[in-house]
Amino acid sequence: MGAADIIRTIVQEFPLALYGSILVGIVCAFLGVYIVARRVVFLGAVLTQVSVMGLALTFLPFFPVPHTVGSLGITLVTVVIISRLLTGKKIPRDGVLGVVFITSIASRILILQKAQRVEVAEIENLLRGDILFVTPELFVLMVVAFVVAMVLHLLFFKEFTYTSFDPETAQTQGFNAAGWDLAFYLIAAVVIAFATHMVGDLFVFGFLVVPPVTAMLLTRNVKAIFILSVVIGALAPIAGLFLAFVIDVPASPAIVAVATVVMGGAWLWSVIPSRRPR
Amino acid sequence: MPPLITFTNATLGYGNHVILRGITFAVEAGEYFGLVGPNGAGKTTIVRAILGSLRPLSGSVKVARPDGLPVRFGYVPQRDTVDYVLPYTAREVVMMGRYRHIGLIRRPGAADREAVSRSIAHVGMEAMADRPFKDLSGGQKQRTLIARALACDPDLLVLDEPTNGMDLASRIAILDLVRELHREGSLTVLLVSHLLDDVANHVHRLAVVEREVFSVGPVDEVLTGENLSAIYNMPVEVQRVHGRTIIITGGGNGSR
Repeated sequence: MGAADIIRTIVQEFPLALYGSILVGIVCAFLGVYIVARRVVFLGAVLTQVSVMGLALTFLPFFPVPHTVGSLGITLVTVVIISRLLTGKKIPRDGVLGVVFITSIASRILILQKAQRVEVAEIENLLRGDILFVTPELFVLMVVAFVVAMVLHLLFFKEFTYTSFDPETAQTQGFNAAGWDLAFYLIAAVVIAFATHMVGDLFVFGFLVVPPVTAMLLTRNVKAIFILSVVIGALAPIAGLFLAFVIDVPASPAIVAVATVVMGGAWLWSVIPSRRPR
Repeated sequence: MPPLITFTNATLGYGNHVILRGITFAVEAGEYFGLVGPNGAGKTTIVRAILGSLRPLSGSVKVARPDGLPVRFGYVPQRDTVDYVLPYTAREVVMMGRYRHIGLIRRPGAADREAVSRSIAHVGMEAMADRPFKDLSGGQKQRTLIARALACDPDLLVLDEPTNGMDLASRIAILDLVRELHREGSLTVLLVSHLLDDVANHVHRLAVVEREVFSVGPVDEVLTGENLSAIYNMPVEVQRVHGRTIIITGGGNGSR
C-alpha cells in the first residue's frame, strides 16, 4: 500500500480518529503551555489518571452513568478538591498530587478486577489508546469542549497569563487569582476528561507536555510558543497516524513518538550555538 | 486629610496563629514609609493586610484614598516570587500592569502602549525593554517590576525587599530611583526591607517589626541605639556620618 493509499484509507475509513486526534492535539498543546509554565506537569498526569479511573468506575453495576459523564464528573470533583488542598501548607503540592495519582491507579486496577471480562477488554482498549474507533457522540462532545476551551482562553488570555506568571501581584490589582486558577483547571479538566476518553491517557498527557516543551526550545517569544505548540499539536497526530498504519503499531504511542522525535530535533537545533533562540 | 493606611489595634495572623498583636499606626498620603525587621518578623503579614489579601483577626485595617475611592496599588513583589518559565519581554511584563485598566476581553490599545513606554523610560529600561525578563540582571528585573507597578498609575507603591540579593551599586541605584519617583510624583511609598541601612537613609518614618515589638515613628526617634539594642536583643549603635545613618551591631566592634 502506497502513501497515497494510506492517507486515503485514514481519511475515508477513520475520519473521526484523524480529526479528533488533531482537535485533542491542538487543545492539549495549547493548555500544556500553561501547565508547563506553571510547573504543574504532574497535575496533567494526575488528571488523565483520574479521568481514566472515573471512566472505569462507570463499568461497575452500582455506578450506572454514561462513561463520559462519569469521567467528567470525577475529574471535575477532583480538580475542585485538589485546588483547595494545593493552597494549604500542611501537605506539599507533590504529596497531594502523588496521593491522588496513586489512588486513581489503584482504584482503576481494583475496578478492573470487579468488572465483567468483556468490559475489561473495553477499558484496556481505552487505556492503550485505541483511537481508531471514536464514536460520533464523543467526537461532538470533544468539538464542544475544544471550542469552549479555546474561546475562553483567547477571550481571557490576559487574565490567564497574568495570574499564571505572577498571581501575587495580579491579586493586588483586583484579579481573583485563585478564581482564575480554578477556572483554568476546570477547563483543563473538561478537556482532559473528554480527550482521555477519546484518545487515551498516553496521548493526552504526552500532548500536554511534549509540544509546549518543543516550542519552548524553538523560540523565545511567548505568543510564538503558543502558536508553535499548537501547530505541532495539530501536525504530529497526522504524521503519527500515518506511521501507525505504515508500521502497524497502535496509534496513540505512534503519535506521541512522532511528537517526541520532533522535540528531540528541536533540542538538537537549540543546542547548536548559532541557532540558539534569542 | 485622613491617612491612606490606618491600622487600629490590629491583630494579624493565620487561623489561630497570631503573628502580630495590637498594631496601631497610620501612613499619610504622599509619605515615604519604611517597614523593617528581620526575616520572619511579620513584615509580609502587614503588607498582606495592607494589600487586602489578609483580614485582621481583630481590630481594623483601613486602606482608602482621601476621596474614599479604593487605593490603586503598585505592588513590587520579591523578584524570586515571579515565575521565569515563559520568556516574557520586559515590555510584556510592564504591560501586565495595565491589564486592570484595559478590562476583561479587550486588547491593549495605543494609550496602554504609550503608558508602558513611559513607565519603562521612567526607570531607565528603554534599551532592555525587548529582552526576555528572565535574562535580565537582578537590578534590571527590579526596575522592570517597578515600571510595571508605575504602569497602573498607583496611589501607593509597595516594594517588598526590593534590594534583596543585589550588589551595592544596584542597591543604591534602586533606592535612588524609588526616592526620585516619590519626590517627582508625590507618590505614597511603602518600602519593606530587612536591611535597616537601606530604609533608614531614605524614608520619612518607619516601623520596626520584631517578634512582639512594634515600634513606629520618625527615623531619628525609632532608630536609636537604645531602641535597636532592645528590639534586636544585642548591642547596636547608631551613628550619623555626613548626614547618613549608619547602624553598627555587635557592640561597636566594627562589624556591621
